Amino acid sequence: MTRPLLSRRTFLQLTGDAARGSLVVLSLPVLFSVAEQAKAAQFAASQKAAAGFKTLGAAEATELAAIAARIIPTDDTPGATEAGAIYFIDHVLGSSRSEVLGPVREGLGALQAKAAAAHDGSLFSALRAEQQDGLLRDIEQTPFFVTMRYLTICGTFSLPEYGGNREGVGHQLSGMGHQHAWTAPYGYYDADYAEKGE
Amino acid sequence: MASASYSTREAVDFVVIGSGSAGGIMAKELSMAGFSVVLLEQGPHLKGADFKHDEWSIEQNEGMAWGRRQGHPQTFRQFENEKAVVVDSDVLEYAHNVGGSSVHFSGNFWRLRPLDFMEHSLLGPISGTNFADWPISYEELEPYYTKVDWEIGVSGLAGPWDPPRSRDYPCPPMPVKSPGVLLERAGRKLGYQAYPAPLAILSKPFNGRPPCIHCGFCNAYGCEVSAKSSTLVTMIPLALASGNCELRTLCTVSRINTDEQGRANEVVYWDADGTEQAQRARAVVLSANGAESARLLLLSESTKFPDGLGNSSGVVGKNLMFNGITRVFGLFPEPVNAFKSVAATRVIHDFYSIDPKLGFYGGGGIDDRATHRGLPMTTALNNPLFSGSSWGSDFKRRLERNFTHACSFNGHTTSLPLSSNNVTLDPEVRDKFGRPALRTTYMDHPDDLQTMKFFAQRTVELMDAAGAIEKTIKYPENGQQNGSHLLGTCRMGNDPQNSVVDKYHRSHDVPNLYMVDGGSMVTSGRGQPTMTIMALAFRAADHIIRNHGSSLH
Repeated sequence: MTRPLLSRRTFLQLTGDAARGSLVVLSLPVLFSVAEQAKAAQFAASQKAAAGFKTLGAAEATELAAIAARIIPTDDTPGATEAGAIYFIDHVLGSSRSEVLGPVREGLGALQAKAAAAHDGSLFSALRAEQQDGLLRDIEQTPFFVTMRYLTICGTFSLPEYGGNREGVGHQLSGMGHQHAWTAPYGYYDADYAEKGE
Repeated sequence: MASASYSTREAVDFVVIGSGSAGGIMAKELSMAGFSVVLLEQGPHLKGADFKHDEWSIEQNEGMAWGRRQGHPQTFRQFENEKAVVVDSDVLEYAHNVGGSSVHFSGNFWRLRPLDFMEHSLLGPISGTNFADWPISYEELEPYYTKVDWEIGVSGLAGPWDPPRSRDYPCPPMPVKSPGVLLERAGRKLGYQAYPAPLAILSKPFNGRPPCIHCGFCNAYGCEVSAKSSTLVTMIPLALASGNCELRTLCTVSRINTDEQGRANEVVYWDADGTEQAQRARAVVLSANGAESARLLLLSESTKFPDGLGNSSGVVGKNLMFNGITRVFGLFPEPVNAFKSVAATRVIHDFYSIDPKLGFYGGGGIDDRATHRGLPMTTALNNPLFSGSSWGSDFKRRLERNFTHACSFNGHTTSLPLSSNNVTLDPEVRDKFGRPALRTTYMDHPDDLQTMKFFAQRTVELMDAAGAIEKTIKYPENGQQNGSHLLGTCRMGNDPQNSVVDKYHRSHDVPNLYMVDGGSMVTSGRGQPTMTIMALAFRAADHIIRNHGSSLH
């Protein structure tokens, strides 16, 4: 029996506005007969996390969060995941950026098709980091990736009231710090200037 | 005294349209002189607590500037034979709120210099342009520059670098930032004089307002502590306290009507509920900015004024000037932390006028800035400044270095007045009120582009002299496609054939209509027009009060 590989075309058909939540939540586990136990567990976990999402379905949020996690990765310092960028993305895709919700879903569908084709039907989120990076490098010039980069960065550095930048992760990453106001000296060169009395 | 309240059906002495740099001053001066004033503002009356460090709103959603997302699309084209198209970001950027763009501007507060008013006489005509002398001199405007210094609140250091001034600055200069030190030291190596930037931001308590807290969310943002000397915190409170000024916010003017004698007698607007209102007036002051004032005049066409109100010359909307801007970003070995405090702390004006022997007209100033206004989201979006991947671990590592270790030296330069650079009514696109959208046609004059290139070269030399280890040049060699300095569209002049208002800002065509804003400027200056717009407003108000006021009653 041949494995029912999901074509790009099929994915695109699934990505209309009416497909909210269905793109990955419902269709993928059914269509991807190769879904393994580990992925099923991950799926369940993402369903649970979905309680906090207003616009995105649980599993598509998991996939988008996985992309965000490669754009600003977690390494020796926190990244988009700890910043909760996905919650910002969820918020703006349902409000000020609702016009890109459809295209984001289409782009995710296309990425999933590539992921599945290249990695034995696997979900993007289930791949290893280097496999994910390889897939993203292939699409880094596409409107989908450019949009995801935009949303991830905005979600990491915007005010927490929009859903992201939790625990001031963005302020930490930029080196700005958490202070609301400053006094001189501000940097190395003006401290030096003051010391030398120029 | 309580703020005034007037009936729309009884004529007030003045309706002032727009509460920004000029309108706020006009309303304050006229109301405190005893005239009844209705001040119409299309935006809200924001207070300190409304001003947050909200980069997502301000930078990405036109939180104060409005635009397409708020139902105010604008269209753009470079040449008049092209079809203008709606663009994603604002072409003409200005704040929609009480205090106008004086609330969100950088506070950079250069005066013009004596030569700015008479360059045509000094240099001769420039073919294909409307280059002209002003009908007033620096000496005539100087007392009003000083009035701005002391009534609005300016920080700076008087010195040989200043144009002549009759009184010292009220506040000492702001503390120098690292980018300012780098510019000053580089300038010293190359033989240029960097001096403390004059800023409409308080360095010490003044006129009941506190000093700057150096938070860094300054240029494009409103000041939460009222240290930035906007008309919102300086003039508007005085106008309201006069008991003669009624401020009506969220009111968008649709047209100015005239009577049978051709005098302005009524201002029609949509109020906050969207209901059409008409305020009777004995005189009208139009201070809606260099784009909106022109649009409103064009919208106020009638049988008597078929080409737009006050437009017998045909130059309303023309001669739009943005000022040129060039940026050179540099990366330094030690932290500069340009994200703290004000936009600029040092200025070099050694190239105020470029030697005409180089073969083109122009001049300007250079100041120290942050890259991307020193804001983390905008910096990250534009990263890498210098090289490398735009995402991933490597990107993340370089972000902090570039955010804290980079700064910009900016060139601010002249724009020539051209008939082909203008604002007009878009024939197809409309705003949420159904008014034709602002259509901008703009292509920098070849001399303006040469001037920008000249400044890019000088700033690169300065970056090198400052010890930058990497650098990037941003200069609009194919022409600028947006501007926040909206100048020249209702230019002042003695000749009604080629100017819109006289030397006191009175319409050549309509004797009780005044246009006072950036549109009044005859030439562009060198890049920081707000100080001049405010001085012009104080001068216009002074003249109206002394010479025309009595005829109103």
